[in-house]
Amino acid sequence: MSEQVEQLIKKEYAAGFHTDIESETLPPGLNEDVVRFISAKKNEPEWMLEWRLKAYRAWLTMKEPDWAHVHYPEIDFQAVSYYSAPKSLADRPKSLDEVDPDLIETYNKLGIPLHEQEMLAGVAVDAVFDSVSVVTTFRGKLEEAGVIFCPISEAVHKYPELVKKYIGTVVPQRDNYYAALNSAVFSDGSFVYIPKGVRCPMELSTYFRINQMNTGQFERTLIIADEGSHVSYLEGCTAPQRDENQLHAAVVELIALDNAEIKYSTVQNWYPGDENGKGGIYNFVTKRGICHTRAKISWTQVETGSAVTWKYPSCILKGDHSIGEFYSVALTNNCQQADTGTKMIHLGKHTKSTIISKGISAGRSQNAYRGLVRMGPSAAGARNYTQCDSLLIGDRCGAHTFPYIESAHPSAIVEHEATTSKVSDDQMFLCQQRGLDAEKAVSMIVNGFCREVFKQLPMEFAVEAGKLLEVSLEGSVG
Amino acid sequence: MSGEFQQAALTLAGAQHFPAWLTDARAQGAAVWQGLAWPTRKTEAWRYTSLLPLENAQWQPAQARQLTDLSELVELDAYRLVFVNGHFAAHLSTECPAALVRFSEADSAQQALIREHLNQVADQQQHLFAALNSSWLQEGVLLHLGANQRLDKPVYLVQVSDQADAQAMNARVLVVLESGAEAELLEHFYSTEADDKGWMNATTECVVGANASLRHYRINLESEQSLHTGGVHVRLAQDARFNGFTLANGSRLKRLDYHIKHLGSGSDLQLNGIYLPRNQQRVDYHTQVEHCVPHCTTTEVFRGVIADSARAVFNGRIHIHPDAQKTLAEMSNRNLLTSDQAQVNTKPELEIYADDVRCAHGATVSQLNDEALFYLTSRGISEAEARVMLSFGFVNELVEGVALEPLQQWLRPRIAQMFGQNDQLTRHIIHD
Amino acid sequence: MLKINELCASVEDKAIIRQLSLDVGPGEIHAIMGPNGAGKSTLGNVLAGRPGYEPTAGSVTFKGLDLLDMDPEIRAREGLFLAFQYPVEIPGVSNMELLKAAVDARRSHAGLSELSAIDFMKMAREACKAVDLDQSFLKRGVNEGFSGGEKKRNEIMQMMLMEPSLCILDETDSGLDIDALQVVARGVNAMRAADRSFIVVTHYQRLLDYIVPDYVHVLANGRIVKSGDKSLALELEAKGYSWLEDEVA
Repeated sequence: MSEQVEQLIKKEYAAGFHTDIESETLPPGLNEDVVRFISAKKNEPEWMLEWRLKAYRAWLTMKEPDWAHVHYPEIDFQAVSYYSAPKSLADRPKSLDEVDPDLIETYNKLGIPLHEQEMLAGVAVDAVFDSVSVVTTFRGKLEEAGVIFCPISEAVHKYPELVKKYIGTVVPQRDNYYAALNSAVFSDGSFVYIPKGVRCPMELSTYFRINQMNTGQFERTLIIADEGSHVSYLEGCTAPQRDENQLHAAVVELIALDNAEIKYSTVQNWYPGDENGKGGIYNFVTKRGICHTRAKISWTQVETGSAVTWKYPSCILKGDHSIGEFYSVALTNNCQQADTGTKMIHLGKHTKSTIISKGISAGRSQNAYRGLVRMGPSAAGARNYTQCDSLLIGDRCGAHTFPYIESAHPSAIVEHEATTSKVSDDQMFLCQQRGLDAEKAVSMIVNGFCREVFKQLPMEFAVEAGKLLEVSLEGSVG
Repeated sequence: MSGEFQQAALTLAGAQHFPAWLTDARAQGAAVWQGLAWPTRKTEAWRYTSLLPLENAQWQPAQARQLTDLSELVELDAYRLVFVNGHFAAHLSTECPAALVRFSEADSAQQALIREHLNQVADQQQHLFAALNSSWLQEGVLLHLGANQRLDKPVYLVQVSDQADAQAMNARVLVVLESGAEAELLEHFYSTEADDKGWMNATTECVVGANASLRHYRINLESEQSLHTGGVHVRLAQDARFNGFTLANGSRLKRLDYHIKHLGSGSDLQLNGIYLPRNQQRVDYHTQVEHCVPHCTTTEVFRGVIADSARAVFNGRIHIHPDAQKTLAEMSNRNLLTSDQAQVNTKPELEIYADDVRCAHGATVSQLNDEALFYLTSRGISEAEARVMLSFGFVNELVEGVALEPLQQWLRPRIAQMFGQNDQLTRHIIHD
Repeated sequence: MLKINELCASVEDKAIIRQLSLDVGPGEIHAIMGPNGAGKSTLGNVLAGRPGYEPTAGSVTFKGLDLLDMDPEIRAREGLFLAFQYPVEIPGVSNMELLKAAVDARRSHAGLSELSAIDFMKMAREACKAVDLDQSFLKRGVNEGFSGGEKKRNEIMQMMLMEPSLCILDETDSGLDIDALQVVARGVNAMRAADRSFIVVTHYQRLLDYIVPDYVHVLANGRIVKSGDKSLALELEAKGYSWLEDEVA
């Protein structure tokens, strides 16, 4: 069991616990008072509190899922602390010299500029450097276009009608155990609204939401693309992220109204634990989007982090002619475990979905693709194409494929292909004969293997993602 | 387990007539199933198939019955053993060599062999119905060939049923092939009456020794009202070969499990299957192939044509254990839905713990190709006949792969008739 | 350039090369011919350091360095190039990407700075032109979906870019029609230089009409059984190999 959890468990459960609105962190434990406390801290209106409480009550009746191909010690949800205010400047490292040198080395390998390193590592610097002005220009442009991009806690106050109308409509409170937990205690996250017919003038990136760092644990994101609008959203960054909270349970809801398009790209690089599997983040994520008529949602993810990943970005293709896409690279090394994939639920006529999944397992890791393609009884003329490939590096890892295909319409066409192979000796030798060392050769072959997915990412992101795989694979070849 | 069903199961297990030397095997099976949780729709292996038809009936042991009509048998020069409602019918069976014997007739050496292997191939913890089968053991069939032995004819085991009431039958087969032995075995299940309501629970265990070869055919064409549970469990030793073919229509409940283990390097598995449910029928194939050692090969091909309001399930799993390097494994599952109400759930799984392997699987669900349909009709063929031809064409490759020629000839018209009852529609296929 | 001294090598514990000696001076072209199974391809693979091709005795020096002591990528960076008999496909990795990485590795090994992307692109385009490959091949996956002839020309194109000092052509002519063969030969001839040597392994004399060797060696049973000049190749063409095998026996 990880030290963090262990330590938390050692702490005595504070029975008869009282809510103190002034306190900055809560002792471990979850009950209605905790939910009320979180809501009160954020000054939330009554309806939001009620919504959270409803989720909490649902959560109490639910069971943690056990069907995924992952193993980890049982989590004591009463041993987790559900609220902590962002660290004050005084508690943060004064300069990069105080930050873990391993982390800095990785930043350097990824080519992250110094001031960004400071920001990522949470160094207490005066926020006057370039990025602030970048953020300001950025906000100006968005306002001009009528795009709303703000923390969801802010949206609850400023745009209550929108939040009320859409929150929980794609991922209901009791959708699953972790979603219910998130609904009860979510910390913060992004809110995006693109008005009718607007093409968002730039990629929206969580990176620019620097004031919102440290909201990782129970993040909640809601993106609404109104009719005919278009948005591309980037989540995460390639820099390794550490967090003192081991348990992460995020929820992302996307709503693409008629003719709208949402492109959601993620690079996930949470701390995966050390090479013996000690420490590391448990990442249990629920991501789902709904497509109305002729709308399109495209998920692209590059997953390299976390000790345990449980994540299935999905599309409900409700409207006729709507399109869902899922492009994924999931790399596991050392003792990491990933169970990830997608669900494409075809309800509308002539709906289309594409799934391209590339799993890479190295070290002693376990990497599973789990996907569902469901052609409902009304999905006339619907189509799905799935290609799901696994690459093995080393003989102690595992690669697994669990595709569920459910078809209830004769004119729906589903095609699924999967392959598993290893980096071949011949490929390695050809690269070496051309002067490349083994590590470079592997990283080149792996990047080639992932190309189809990388080309879905915004240009700059794609380059970084390639480097990230290289760094993540270090030490995986003899 | 539902109380009523458990009661029925206990009653069946309480049968008085069984050879005393099977007592241990029965007790072992009973202990396993009584300790297992009864599957519900939340049990992954039963996600798409309901056991309600089984739970909602009052099961009684099946009664023997006279039967004279053999017109539905495959015309095959074979060593034949026929069972009617689970009871041996001597007058319908042929003389058999010593290698083929019923449990009740086994000599002491054969008894020892049966006791050695029974319950050792089928993993009862994982296969509830195999455990139930063991606990009800009264009779069974042993096929045992010594080193390098080969029979001059195939073996043909027939299970016929025709029961107006909820009566349960148990069938058990054990095949033991010693090194270099070769055999061909056809298991045939059918109903003589359209309203046969019987439940057959049939378990087959095969031990295929080093360099031995078993060709196995299992034909399940029972009535729509009948229930069938069971499976074929195989252990392959070094360089052993198992060539399997299975065909099934659907019924109220039909669940077939194939579980094959590669335990010796160089072994080869070829498994082909066809499922053709129509009307309200259900059919559920679960296959598991485990590669435990290096250098083994698996090729698995299943095709289904699902008509009317029928539902089919295919769950194929290939599991490569850590030491099974140099494995080559391929699995393909293709489905054709020919009506608006037809449904299929398919799940081709790979679970891989070794790196130097080449594995691939593919699954498709589609309808008849409009262009092909048009091509045929433009040549003057009626649309109805064209549909039958294309449906048959979808599975034809696997039918042609049936090496036992008389069986292939017997299958062709029967499969064709499942696509089109009218002779006019099937004549071109039958006279191929 | 290359000194092979009583080299023995085996594949899967089977001795293939038996006490083979060969001296290749700067600027020379040596042709190695021989019947199937003589060990021709094994020689190239042993020199390039392919895993599984184990030298068991003898020594090889390359530019005065102990070749057998080096990892395959170091041999490549030192200037040893093997044009493969069966170039492997690497889906998803573009030719361009591989070449840039390869050239960079060779240059940085030699203490030179990396080429700029523009300069490199220019060189790569020229190399393509020299072997009649369309420039689109640079963007395609390494050998992915290439025809046999395209794969061989791709090898020569890579050879040109890497500017090696010793080129080993392993049956580059096998399976080529005459036009493609001429393209390959033209590429090789264009690269002839006083400080660059070639070992051309071939089964057929035909290639030597286009690439004129200084020496011809016949390999049989893992050793060189006869050496001569170009005329030896013609003799072999006329008489086959069996007379040599008899002679040795």
